[in-house]
Amino acid sequence: MLRFVATRLGRALLTITLVVTFAFIVLRLSGDPALIIMSPDAPPEALVAFRQAWGLDEPIWLQYFKYFTAILQGELGQSFRDGRPAIELVAERIPATLTLTLPALALKVGLGIPAGIYAALHRNSMTDRVVMTFAVAGFTVPSFVLGLLLVLVFAVQLGWLPSGGQDVWRNVILPVIAMGLGGAGVLARFTRSAMLEVLGQPYIRTASAKGVPWGLVVRGHALPNAAIPTVTVVGFMVGSLMAGAVVVESVFSWPGVGRLMVVAVANRDLAVVQCVLLLVSATMVTSNLIVDLLYGVLDPRLRGSAPAGGGH
Amino acid sequence: MSLLSLDGVSRVYSTRRGLFGRPMPVRAVDHISFSVAPGRTLGIVGESGCGKSTTGRVALGIERPSDGGVLFNGVPMPPPGTPAWRKMRARLQLVNQDPLGAMDRRLTVAAQVEEPLEIHGIGDRSERRDRVAALLRDVGLRADLAQRHPHELSGGQRQRAVLARALATDPALLVADEPVSALDVSIQAQVINMLTDLQEARGIAMLFISHDLKVVRQVSHEVAVMYLGRIVEQGDPEAIFADPLHPYSRALVSAIPVPGPRRIERVVLTGDPPNPADRPSGCAFHPRCPVAVAACAATVPDLREAADGRLVACHLVDAA
Amino acid sequence: MSEQALAQAAVAAPPRRRAAVPAGVMAAILWLGFMVSVALLADVIRPYGITAMDLRARLQPPVGFGGDWMHPLGTDELGRDVFSRLVESIRMSLLIAFGATIIAAVFGTTMGFLAAHFRGWVEQAVLMLIDFQASMPFLILALSVLAFFGNSLPLFICLMGLYGWERHARISRGLAIAANAQGYAAAVRQLGATPMRIYLKHVLPNIASTLIVAATLSFPEVVLLESGLSFLGLGVQPPMTSLGNMVGYGREYLTRAPWILLSPSVVIVLTTLSVSILGDWLRDRLDPTLT
Repeated sequence: MLRFVATRLGRALLTITLVVTFAFIVLRLSGDPALIIMSPDAPPEALVAFRQAWGLDEPIWLQYFKYFTAILQGELGQSFRDGRPAIELVAERIPATLTLTLPALALKVGLGIPAGIYAALHRNSMTDRVVMTFAVAGFTVPSFVLGLLLVLVFAVQLGWLPSGGQDVWRNVILPVIAMGLGGAGVLARFTRSAMLEVLGQPYIRTASAKGVPWGLVVRGHALPNAAIPTVTVVGFMVGSLMAGAVVVESVFSWPGVGRLMVVAVANRDLAVVQCVLLLVSATMVTSNLIVDLLYGVLDPRLRGSAPAGGGH
Repeated sequence: MSLLSLDGVSRVYSTRRGLFGRPMPVRAVDHISFSVAPGRTLGIVGESGCGKSTTGRVALGIERPSDGGVLFNGVPMPPPGTPAWRKMRARLQLVNQDPLGAMDRRLTVAAQVEEPLEIHGIGDRSERRDRVAALLRDVGLRADLAQRHPHELSGGQRQRAVLARALATDPALLVADEPVSALDVSIQAQVINMLTDLQEARGIAMLFISHDLKVVRQVSHEVAVMYLGRIVEQGDPEAIFADPLHPYSRALVSAIPVPGPRRIERVVLTGDPPNPADRPSGCAFHPRCPVAVAACAATVPDLREAADGRLVACHLVDAA
Repeated sequence: MSEQALAQAAVAAPPRRRAAVPAGVMAAILWLGFMVSVALLADVIRPYGITAMDLRARLQPPVGFGGDWMHPLGTDELGRDVFSRLVESIRMSLLIAFGATIIAAVFGTTMGFLAAHFRGWVEQAVLMLIDFQASMPFLILALSVLAFFGNSLPLFICLMGLYGWERHARISRGLAIAANAQGYAAAVRQLGATPMRIYLKHVLPNIASTLIVAATLSFPEVVLLESGLSFLGLGVQPPMTSLGNMVGYGREYLTRAPWILLSPSVVIVLTTLSVSILGDWLRDRLDPTLT
């Protein structure tokens, strides 16, 4: 068991290292980091100090090392636009993003999974087809189109809900739906096929043939086994809590991390871009790690190492 | 001059239990030496895990021996994957147990039988076409089957197709690793007869590897019995089957079902089946041997010549 | 039965079943065919240039809503014909999507084959890259690259081409390893074939159907990704136009002139839907084991 956890942890750390390396490579390839990260009219002493802190005149591997330690210490540079440390800028927007992404996640899971399960249990029925049609529509309609359509219908034509601002809770509804419906569709499809695959297994037939009530078969056998691949997908969605809002925040002018990223990219405000990148990857890696560990709990086949080989 | 000769060949695999386990060497083949003369068949027989397939692969040069050397036509076997090795494939071929797996399911039989000719650049299109037709005739496949795909043939037909492909470049040596084990018994007989006919007609040498003694007896000019990576007895098939000298051969031969009263009493082996990862000391067979003595656990017996010219590796058999 | 009849029966190939193409799939194929022809014939179909402005005819609604046939889908705020821009956008978006999908397929398959062929540290490196790519939301990676390197069309297509390569790499590596271990690839290698011959003549044709299905899965996702980035103003830059681009520009006129963004939106949805339907059907026919 310990080995299992250790390998998963090791992989998570490796991925983060890779992301930092990626950022480093991309940064170095695109020009002089000092001029890029610090704003153009930073005082020369600041530039020199920055160069020193990052060791820009030194051999590349030493630079990498210093870059790494700087990141670990939270030294990510300052934003062009208002000169504040990038970390601050990003951190203060996290709550706004979470206000959208957490309810959206709840929508995806709460709508998608039951819909998928229901569709699987009533395969080829009218309900199944309807659910699946909606699900497919959910992920072929891009979130920005959905968002704009929602605004057009509900805010403009019907005037029920506001189209901008973020003070009242009613402002949250449209963005959350725009973000959540697509994911609900994906999740519904996925859950349905996972359930169908499990339901087609011989042990389900056996349990049913033994006389176990169908509801119990579903709850006790089918659902837990179908949960395993579903957990992966949900884990991915949790991991993209930060990233998923990029487009929707722009549609609704919502002041979250996603919108900050878009603006930063447009302005080539690389300190902020780098910061968001690391934040998103940290979230993703953590979520994947939790999913991996959950696997160990959910799937006994994965727990612990294989027993010893040679016979006694 | 022998066509193929192995001298002191060993093959050790290094395995590991899990990511952090200790590496354990598995000695699949241990100091094997033999030679195959042109046009003759050497049969290698033994139970699963005794290393006979590995021996076949090392003999072909698919794997490199950890110790010792392989000579083909007097020339050392090039390392696998090199251009020299690839060129040599025209002279050495392999037929193994699974004909369906050995063929590309998308291509027709004719295309696949022609492929070695394409690879080695033999003949032009029409010559190759004729040659393929002749090969199919030789292995007893009807001409109209040539345009079929492998999964549309029966097991016996597929094995014939694989054989035709192996013979396309007119090899001097054919290594057959359990070629009939997956076939019905009636088809087995047909394929075996075809192999012996082809050998006579073309003068091909064969290394015939199998766990089935009856089949090996039929095709071999010489038989080697393997146990846990070593040859324990080697010699004329009839002599070995009539009067096996090594205790293991004795057990094997006695297990062959025969109609009527038994000539050799049935020997039932006790103890665990052999595990190459956990070799016993001394003679590998001694834990299961009904007549083992103290010396058997201490020293490994050499393969020595016995009275009638056979080679036996047993302390209890007198050397000539 | 006579021997001949027996022999013939044994040899007859199994009859092939002809499955009917469902109506939905047919519709999808028709739409996609239509889109591709529009893209190919764009220059011929387009009545106006995409930057041709007609300031007297600004913000005209489409035919049927108060407009006329001069501008069947209306005009935007600069008097540019929406239909012409739409046609050109279809070509651009399809070009990017096809280009990216092909790049991803070729790159991914090659990496997968390299990993399967060389094993050892090459394989470990490729697996690490695959894991890395699979565990990061691509949008963020793409945005980072765009931020650092700016935006030009070839760079953008290559960037989109990095989407989904890991899917192809995983598949080709798995199938190549399976082929190498036991089957026909090992047998052909034993015949003396060079690795190139083995991969190109044997392995690739055998796994082609699986790869094609994987490509139909990434294609719509690339379309969505590209239109999302263009919508944000970070993808295709003016004067070039793409579907997402048009939606982005139309956003300001959502209330006054919704047709500007509705026509490209409809095209995006129908196209991704069609490819998804087609891909699902292909997968059911060719390789049900692919998720």
